[in-house]
Amino acid sequence: MTKHGKDAQRVVVGLFVALQVLPVLSVALNAFATDWAGSILPEGLTWHWAGQIFADPRFTLALRNSLVISFGAMLVSAAVTIPAVLAGHCYLPSLDRCLGALVILPYAVPGIALALGLMRIYSGQYGVQLNGTPWVLILGYVPLGASFYYLPIKNNLRAVPVRELIEAGHLVGAGDLAIMRRVILPAVIRGVVVGLVMNFALAISEFVYANLLVGGLYPTLQIFMNVLRQGSGRLTSVVVTVYFVVVWILSTAVVAVMARRED
Amino acid sequence: MDGESRAPSLTLPRSGGGQAGTRLGPTMQGLSVRSRVKLCAFLFALPLLAILALFEIAPLLAIAWNSLHDDDGLITLANYAEILGSRFQRSAFVTSVLVSAGSAGLGILIGLPVANILRFMPVRLQQTVLTYANIGSNFTGFPLAFAFIIMFGLSGSFTLLLAKLGIAGHLDIYSTAGLVVVYAYLQVQLAILLLFPSLGAITPEIEEMATMVGASRLKFWWRIGLPILSPSLIGSFILLFANAMGTYATAYALVGGNANLVTLRIGELAAGDVYSDPQLADTLATLLILVLIVPVIVEQALLKRSRP
Repeated sequence: MTKHGKDAQRVVVGLFVALQVLPVLSVALNAFATDWAGSILPEGLTWHWAGQIFADPRFTLALRNSLVISFGAMLVSAAVTIPAVLAGHCYLPSLDRCLGALVILPYAVPGIALALGLMRIYSGQYGVQLNGTPWVLILGYVPLGASFYYLPIKNNLRAVPVRELIEAGHLVGAGDLAIMRRVILPAVIRGVVVGLVMNFALAISEFVYANLLVGGLYPTLQIFMNVLRQGSGRLTSVVVTVYFVVVWILSTAVVAVMARRED
Repeated sequence: MDGESRAPSLTLPRSGGGQAGTRLGPTMQGLSVRSRVKLCAFLFALPLLAILALFEIAPLLAIAWNSLHDDDGLITLANYAEILGSRFQRSAFVTSVLVSAGSAGLGILIGLPVANILRFMPVRLQQTVLTYANIGSNFTGFPLAFAFIIMFGLSGSFTLLLAKLGIAGHLDIYSTAGLVVVYAYLQVQLAILLLFPSLGAITPEIEEMATMVGASRLKFWWRIGLPILSPSLIGSFILLFANAMGTYATAYALVGGNANLVTLRIGELAAGDVYSDPQLADTLATLLILVLIVPVIVEQALLKRSRP
């Protein structure tokens, strides 16, 4: 690589870091600023706003609700998606192709269209009242997050001679379930970890479903931010900062997992 | 796969894909064990299939069905006629398409060079950048809009900084152009993720050969690089376009009802206090999906034709 190329690399990494850090830093500064109007940097820092938010029961409730929904969605998605992806890849190629299309579909279909549809079906007209409860979010996020498991697991599986492994397992008298659990699952575990974190990040960031289907009945962090918008920008900044911190910790965890792959 | 399944094997049950007909007399027991394994595999996939049917397919069918009915439950195309006949709704589609195409274009223009430089970095650094880009592309909606308001709002730090540096013409993030910039923030990160894998097609050999015949960098990219990448560039553009067309939360948080975007109109018709009209909301949503599905189908057809 030439000197020129190295410089370009540095510039790109620098820009990328700036792109990721600047918005977060601005919001965090605003959360802890004493007075910040008409100047480029704030005049001083204070815990005042953070203290006020942490003492607000609405915040604690929203944080709790968000964690319940995000963990719930993550666990349900993982529990139903991982077995399905493995079953499709190892035993049912036609199902696998079908799954491939179904998990990609939400990329092309806007969330608000799906949310409208859920609103029509689960508001009790057909005897099922899910709207207004966390369940519509936990179950509704499954199709949105399925690709986070499907794609990395499929990527991992491409490098694994599945057919041979299953046959070898049969030769030594192992059942299919045991082969899946002991041999295939460990081979895709890193894909699973990445999927879990991406799924969590999606669920804690989601606003459209939360706003249209549940709203104030089970307010999440995103809903609370939207409510606060009418009030002080400082308080909103604290909530957004908390959200950023949670997501950043998660991202760093993924980077650590990915890095360990080479060791 | 098929070649493999014809390899000599013991009479043990084979896992899926094997063509029973090509082997001599699989035992009855072998067959039933194999189909039992398949059935079992299907049962493991069933919960996901059920959830996809109930929470992905059924909602889409519901809005399509609703869009074709009037208040009395009679089949009609009146909803479509009303939307297509309304200048206001048509202009919502035009604005959405412009914002989406603009931000997708910006995403590719910035993301492609970045992804290209990323190719020459150590693998670990690549993975770090890609992972953060992946998570960063989730920074949508309220947090993103709010961060931009603090940076570029009327008294935002960057607005003041730019004014102090004497750079005239500050960015009005509450305008349509502002939406393009905020969307582009996400689009660049998505473009890096989408384009990076496809850049593997440009091997050092190809580049060396181009240098040997005396092609400049610019000429190389124009004549060789971009044509090689064109299928994935088009595919990525369509995905970014669809992503922006469907964006609701970011626009809602940034401009509220002030911009005439399709998604904001849908939200207003679905949950607005004044303008609520479920049938029209469903019709608008169905039209939006059609606008997004058509380019995907065309792209797939073109891909098939180019690879006979």
